[in-house]
Amino acid sequence: MSGGTSVGVRLASHFATVEQQKHAAVLGMWAWLLTELLLFAGLFLTALILRLTHPEAVQAAARHLKFWIGAVNTVVLIGSSLTMSGAIQLSRLGWQRGMVRFMLATAALGTLFLALKGYEYYADYHEHMMPFLSDRPYALTDSPPSRLFVNLYYVATGLHGLHLLTGIAILLAMTRQASRPGFLAAHQNRIEIFGLYWHFIDLIWIVAFPTLYVLNR
Amino acid sequence: MFGTSEERRILWRHMREPVLTACALLIMLGVNVALGATLPFPHVWIVELIVAGLMVATILAFSMEVRREPPLVRLFACIGFVWVAILFAMTLVDYLSRR
Amino acid sequence: MTSGTITDGPALRDPHTPDSRIGHGPDYLHAEHTLRSWFFTTDHKRIALLYLASITAFFVIGAVTAGLVRLALVVPDGQVFTNDTYNKLFTIHGVVMVWFFLIPSIPATFGNFLIPLMIGARDLAFPKLNLASWYVFMTGAFFTLVSVVLGGVDTGWTFYTPLSTAFSNTWVVPALIGVTIVGFSSILTGLNFVVTIHTMRAPGMTWFRLPIFVWTHYATSLIFLLATPVITVALVLLIAERAFHIGVFDPAYGGDPVLFQHLFWFYSHPAVYIMVLPGMGVISEIVPAFAQKKLFGYRFVAYAAIGLASVTFFVWGHHMFVNGQSDLASVAFSVLSFAVAVPSAVKVYNWTATIHKGSLKLDTPMLYAMGYIGLFVLGGLTGLYLATLAINQHVHATYFVVAHFHYIMVGGTVLAFLGGLHFWWPKFTGRMYIEAWGRISAVLIFIGFNVTFFPQFILGYLGMPRRYHVYPAEFQFLNILSSAGSTILAVGYIFPMIYLVYAIWFGKRAPANPWDARGLEWTVASPPPAHNFLTEPQAPKVPYDYPIQARETGRQHS
Repeated sequence: MSGGTSVGVRLASHFATVEQQKHAAVLGMWAWLLTELLLFAGLFLTALILRLTHPEAVQAAARHLKFWIGAVNTVVLIGSSLTMSGAIQLSRLGWQRGMVRFMLATAALGTLFLALKGYEYYADYHEHMMPFLSDRPYALTDSPPSRLFVNLYYVATGLHGLHLLTGIAILLAMTRQASRPGFLAAHQNRIEIFGLYWHFIDLIWIVAFPTLYVLNR
Repeated sequence: MFGTSEERRILWRHMREPVLTACALLIMLGVNVALGATLPFPHVWIVELIVAGLMVATILAFSMEVRREPPLVRLFACIGFVWVAILFAMTLVDYLSRR
Repeated sequence: MTSGTITDGPALRDPHTPDSRIGHGPDYLHAEHTLRSWFFTTDHKRIALLYLASITAFFVIGAVTAGLVRLALVVPDGQVFTNDTYNKLFTIHGVVMVWFFLIPSIPATFGNFLIPLMIGARDLAFPKLNLASWYVFMTGAFFTLVSVVLGGVDTGWTFYTPLSTAFSNTWVVPALIGVTIVGFSSILTGLNFVVTIHTMRAPGMTWFRLPIFVWTHYATSLIFLLATPVITVALVLLIAERAFHIGVFDPAYGGDPVLFQHLFWFYSHPAVYIMVLPGMGVISEIVPAFAQKKLFGYRFVAYAAIGLASVTFFVWGHHMFVNGQSDLASVAFSVLSFAVAVPSAVKVYNWTATIHKGSLKLDTPMLYAMGYIGLFVLGGLTGLYLATLAINQHVHATYFVVAHFHYIMVGGTVLAFLGGLHFWWPKFTGRMYIEAWGRISAVLIFIGFNVTFFPQFILGYLGMPRRYHVYPAEFQFLNILSSAGSTILAVGYIFPMIYLVYAIWFGKRAPANPWDARGLEWTVASPPPAHNFLTEPQAPKVPYDYPIQARETGRQHS
């Protein structure tokens, strides 16, 4: 572990300097995150409109969500952000092995989140809280608008889960690359760029958790 | 994993900020969860919203290191929220004034 | 540097070739010849041509369906097609023209080809992403074509609920998937442009030395990034609605169809500027070149592009005046819509001021540009009528609206596209087209366009609703006039497809700068070398440094 490997970025042929290349990569990821933010904003707006038009139904539906699983999952994601930051810090130091371990820990925490989410869906299914399933009766039949909020909850958490799943897949692929010697000398900034994406998925959940679980109670 | 005390010191120097960030986030989350679980007063959602906003700001500024980025990246980090505000504000003009 | 010596036919004024930068290596078209070298290229110029070929194919589909719609409207009793077929025809026309031609038209082709050349870069910032965006585009196109082949869609291009969710029995879901996927291709293109313009400019190429074409593409890219995801999520909700009946837009469960319209128009109104702004960039290049005069009010034109891209996000509700949004919202959206006129007018006045006392050459690109300015003014002014609440009540969803937006989309974007195509065709292919044919087509298109769409203003004002093919017999004359105009328009479209392609093999070789135009793209050979610049590009001290300098009062020192 003593002493790191050399750290840097290999210049691609169409850039003039490494600085330019790194700047372009950071800016590119931020531009992508802009679109991600607006994507989820559409869903949060829909949730807000549902809350405004059907306050009681939305509250009834929100009380059926698994508040504590959501809270634990938020803790899990905050933890995964911490390990991702750790991977970034170690990549800057050139401590490749430690970095890889932090990356694996991040992927594990992401998977734990998905597992808990899956259990939550399973419990919802059990409690007849899946109104979009046409062949399964819905628990809150006396409140038709509550279906809308519950369905929106599945769209929003499903889309977030898809982003997390994609993130885990990319992270594992990158971990494989990053464990090879010479990775940090050529592609250190990939870790930082991916870190931005990972933190942003965390950020989206930080907004989604209160929007869906907390504010409507 | 990190053998010498020298390495541990370097590690802590670099990990202090992420660890403190995570702690701050957990504390704020604790506040929100407590408020959501107990619902102590009628308009508690205002406080919850503010706390969630602070958490977002913390992630942006510290986890995503916007603080250390050049002005252009900071602008990009903000502009999305400005546009979200446009989307919400103009749509709410409709919904809040409907009869 | 004076101009005007005609040496080699009317198109080849002063073939001024700065030979220091013209290389001896193979140009980008001849660097490699395999099919693989095209389909897996990361060269922005080749990707631009991939896009050009694809969108031309979609233009043909969109134009043929438009022709069939016009055919159906020749008779008032709706006997040409069944109601279903008619609905599907105008839907395919709208979906294909909006998402598969107009939106990618100028950015994905000219923008892709020219932005790196204009700013002095070797490529876009993310070449692989650029290629990926084309594949994403084709994937979306595949789904949409599948829906057409299976039997089409009848919802109109707007996919309004509850028609699209509860009542339509057509292939809505594949079409929705196609449009959703195509959105990602726009996002990737916009992302690439934003990053490229920020980070890849040649040394000395400051923001106020950039061509207006680059400014307008920057503004367009911001709209791509900020607006497209919102329609993506709206369409995802629609797909979920059709597949699982989630009910968010379904009044039966207490959902609100108007919410879909809010999300839809948050994208689709700014999308008008995705279509128009790049066209404005093209016109801002053509007009100074053919007036041989510095662009009047450069900074104002640049700021107006950013202004349009921002203001456009505050006006979407003017599509929804009669659709159930609140009166207060309608008033707010109406007032804000008038603000759009300001930056639009800034642009038009600056182009006309550039033409004023210029040394005019009415070559093909300039004919298109002048047609653009006139038609854009008409389209823009009728937009003000529509933004007025009281008039909108009268002409909402009539042919007045159809005429208005065709003046902007066809009179604006398509004319700018064709103008740009003729302007940069020598740069793309290294060959000159036959100038006489170009001028004939430009005039035909201008006449055909006006004969087609001007009667529709009158029809709409008289009360003919859009999207119906059965109409009162007294509207027949104007409808026949419109359909007759569309045949002239069709001829005007077919000619360029022939002589431009002909020119690729048989045209005269083009010099590096056939129009004596300014801008870095004219300092490289035609067609450009594979890596754009053989020596370090020298940014001009002043943009649009043409021989005739505009006299602008006030303190304007750029």
